Amino acid sequence: MPSSPWQKSRQAECLSHHRRNLLMQFGGTGGFACRSGILGLLPRAGSARAILLLAGLAPCAAAGDFTYADAQSLLKRYCQTCHQGAAPAGGLAIAQLAAPGTENTARWTKLLLRVRNGEMPPKGMPAPPPEEREILLAWADQALHTAACANGLTPGPHLIRRLNRDEYASTVRDLLRVHFNAGHALPADGAGGEGFDNAAETLFLSPIHAEKYLEAAKETLEYASKDPKARAAFLVAEPHEGVSPDQAANKILEAFVPRAFRRLAKPEELERYLNLFHAAQKRGESFDRAIQFALAGILVSPNFLFHVEEPNPGPDTRPLDGYAMASRLSYFLWGTMPDSTLFDLAAQGKLQDPAVLGDQVSRMLKDERARDFAERFIDQWLNIRELGRDIKPDEKLFPTYYDAELQSAIRYEPILFFQELLSKDLPLLDLLDANFTILTNRLAKHYNLTLKDLSQQPKHADLPTDSHRGGILTMAAVLAVSSYPQRTSPVLRGKWILETVLGTPPPPPPATVPALKEEHEGDAPQALRERLEEHRRDPVCASCHNRIDPLGFALENFDVLGRWRGNDNGKAIDNRGELPDGTKIDGPDQLKQVLLERKQVFLRHLTSKMLGYALGRGLTASDSCTVDQILGQLEKEQYRTQALIRGIVLSMPFRDQAGTMANKTSEGK
Amino acid sequence: MTIRRHIPISRRTLLRGAGASLALPWLEVMSAAQRPPVRMAILYMPNGVREDMWTPEGVGREFTLSPTLQPLADLKSEILVATNLWNQATKGSEGHYIKTSGYLTCTTVSKTLGVDINCHGISMDQAAAKAVGDRTPLPSLELGTAPVATGVDTNVGYTRVYGSHIAWSGPTTPLAKEINPRFVYERLLRATKPQTYTAKDDLLLLDQVQDDAKQLRGLLGAADKLRLDEYLSVVRALEVRVERTGKAHQTRWKPRGLQKGTPEPVAPPEETPKLHAEHVRLMLDMIALAFQTDTTRIATFMFGNAVSNENFSFLEGVTGAHHSLSHHQNDADKLRQYQLINRWHVDQYAYLLRKLRAMKEGESSVLDNSMIVFGAGLRDGNKHDPHNLPLVLAGRGGRRIATGQHLNYSPDTPMANLWMAMLDAFGTPVERFADSTGRLPGVLA
Repeated sequence: MPSSPWQKSRQAECLSHHRRNLLMQFGGTGGFACRSGILGLLPRAGSARAILLLAGLAPCAAAGDFTYADAQSLLKRYCQTCHQGAAPAGGLAIAQLAAPGTENTARWTKLLLRVRNGEMPPKGMPAPPPEEREILLAWADQALHTAACANGLTPGPHLIRRLNRDEYASTVRDLLRVHFNAGHALPADGAGGEGFDNAAETLFLSPIHAEKYLEAAKETLEYASKDPKARAAFLVAEPHEGVSPDQAANKILEAFVPRAFRRLAKPEELERYLNLFHAAQKRGESFDRAIQFALAGILVSPNFLFHVEEPNPGPDTRPLDGYAMASRLSYFLWGTMPDSTLFDLAAQGKLQDPAVLGDQVSRMLKDERARDFAERFIDQWLNIRELGRDIKPDEKLFPTYYDAELQSAIRYEPILFFQELLSKDLPLLDLLDANFTILTNRLAKHYNLTLKDLSQQPKHADLPTDSHRGGILTMAAVLAVSSYPQRTSPVLRGKWILETVLGTPPPPPPATVPALKEEHEGDAPQALRERLEEHRRDPVCASCHNRIDPLGFALENFDVLGRWRGNDNGKAIDNRGELPDGTKIDGPDQLKQVLLERKQVFLRHLTSKMLGYALGRGLTASDSCTVDQILGQLEKEQYRTQALIRGIVLSMPFRDQAGTMANKTSEGK
Repeated sequence: MTIRRHIPISRRTLLRGAGASLALPWLEVMSAAQRPPVRMAILYMPNGVREDMWTPEGVGREFTLSPTLQPLADLKSEILVATNLWNQATKGSEGHYIKTSGYLTCTTVSKTLGVDINCHGISMDQAAAKAVGDRTPLPSLELGTAPVATGVDTNVGYTRVYGSHIAWSGPTTPLAKEINPRFVYERLLRATKPQTYTAKDDLLLLDQVQDDAKQLRGLLGAADKLRLDEYLSVVRALEVRVERTGKAHQTRWKPRGLQKGTPEPVAPPEETPKLHAEHVRLMLDMIALAFQTDTTRIATFMFGNAVSNENFSFLEGVTGAHHSLSHHQNDADKLRQYQLINRWHVDQYAYLLRKLRAMKEGESSVLDNSMIVFGAGLRDGNKHDPHNLPLVLAGRGGRRIATGQHLNYSPDTPMANLWMAMLDAFGTPVERFADSTGRLPGVLA
């Protein structure tokens, strides 16, 4: 191992909040180890040491001594050949690259990304040894984080975005009070940012959308007009003696437009929709048909289809208005339009009052609409949306999965479990290990649990102490989605934990590494264990698999469908594993312990995910400071689930709107 | 419901076409202005091919189909196999996403989890649609079997949006796919609806949308304006189409496929089929129907998204899932299964070709007047390289394509050259397409 000038002290404080690097969580390449990721995650350095001790991590390489001068010398050595002169490669001249700061965040972020992914230096060019690379990355991450936070919190960018397919369907449902999925014909939405399909950056519009919005508007209104309950809800007036058709139409529009646009209606807007009504009447349409026509116009308006917030024309950050807050809250916690309580509070200007916001969070999380939030968040965070889609247990080997009752119980267990945490304000750490789960009698049987008082309906069930269950890791949906269709895979499960629970996905194998004979379908996991041990001699392969595989092996007692097993094909299950730092993980119970010891990493990742979901966009460097703040509060409130939601709702990016000054900077990136 | 689900398409077609001309014998209609139009479809298969079972033996007209191409035996004179084409812009560190979105654009997409998604080009099919899409009720059809893949791939740093689209109408606008066959069918019906009351109504509503949008636009910042403009542009496109529908001056081909005596197309079931094989067949049927009725002349179809792990154990001899098996690591059994999956895809391709061949257009068939590409964004799924991509082009493109050959080019000939040649045959020539260096020789008859 070549030693570097800045590897002098192994005592120094480690750096970086960086979440992505595997090395930081479970030791490092060929004996190099860094605890920096963990330290940087903490709001205060005091508790950092305690966490480190708990985590049992190997001492960190001394990134603390690393300086801008060291970075420059490293970059000069490995990058300057191409990145210099009048026309440097990629427009990046190393000599002109200042220390990481707010002015050059974009530049550094790009550089770090390419280095982190092993794209730079390019194949065939001299590259720094892994440990030097890691120190550079950790140092720069921390420097960017410090720079971003030094200027105080900012609301961050906010882009106008359309309702996604789910939001559209729920909003139409609540607006017209029909039980009709108006979004059924819309194409699914891709995901961006923190991995959710409500991210502004990936909510594209294709020609197909315009067509479908138009058809859906007409179709739904036709349906609603035939449903007495729905009719009564939107046809709030009818022409009769003393009420002209115009007056009735006006009354209907005055009630409908503000709910559809989720803000006060402007007089000229009402007039325009009244004109549509007139046009239809002129053609000889009945009152009903004519008003339906006007309402169809509202349902295809961008004011309905987009999340629009009154823009901030001033140079400075300002709080959002009440209606924008009502919408942000309701699309975050319900995935649909605000109800009358939120509209009323908006009208009274109370939705910037922290106490009111806190009350609303509690109220909304107890409402049944929070189910949609739980479903959309959990589905995408845990990637279980792909279960039954791209990831399907083999029908011949696992026919039980195709029992509709069981399939639905499996799918909804994590969702309803999370909803339980939300509505009852239970600790977030229950996600890692809990003494209850949500079961139907069918699922309990599947798990081989003998419990009383279960039925076809899913409900909260206390788990026996020796069940090995509790928490998301031991739920059938998670275990299935991290398996091959035919059999379990410690590699896939280990990778799932690193990526989903800790937010530290393993990097793709470097191009220069010969294919490690990893496991593939048809191989038994136990054969992999032997092969991995054999391959541990190659430090480059082992550096990742050393971290991935022990986590996955700990779950080997669960089959593809999450059933407990003592052996596989007659061979006893070996669920033992050891992390590079010597931490032993023998079986699922210890795995949960190890993850609980790393709760700060988990909580930071979860908070980032949740903030990204709440804001409908990817996070920026400045948002990581907001995450710090929320984490600090979370610790004070014993990691209560509602504390996380409240923390996000009360945070600056959720409540404030950047001014034009901020927009200029962010566009400049 | 306003969608009239059960009106057979032939009635609409009859309503739309001039009754008198339908009664005329075929040859009398075959004037120069009434030459059957050329159609074009690209069928994308995820996860590459087993190399040693793909390339035919022999070159030129004397060639022997490879094992994977065997299902095309009865279509040998209708196909052109191109060997050694590559997509240079999609080489590099990442195995799937850039090779999917870059498949028809021949560009390098920006690496991103979403914020600055950009393909830096336009896909070949959309280049054609921009030029002549206004001649048919729908400019193009984008079809698939799987919804956009969920999430972002943090391992490699790409949003999965890239792996779920091959059609891009512009640098930042991937086109959403329709995956439910019934919806495609209904869309075809709607698009060919004659001008009625509804169309006028729709125009009024679309007008209103544009008024609303303009008002809103004035309030927004630059970035938001762009977003809103996306909506405005798709609304305008729809408006133009509604306006055009049924208008006499259209240079629309009067389709002959649905003459009296032809069995009426059957509407697909409402629900998306659960069985992959059935799903694929129905989507291919929709392409055939769209081409036959000249509802569109351009279609793209994704058998699956990039990295698709569709379970193919419904095939005899296969026990695994697509992407996992494509990482065969030269294991004999995995290679065997991988090839069976490849071959199944070719089988489906052959099904579409036969179907189009059976659709007569006078002396010719819809296949004769089409160019149907089958291919993948990478060659060997184990290596993820965009060299020597698997490519078959079928149909004579209205006598413009020299089928019945295996053409072996010098290594690393740009695939964009093939796209260029096809755009020529389609009647929408370009001077250059992405990294093209000229029309691919030997393709045009």
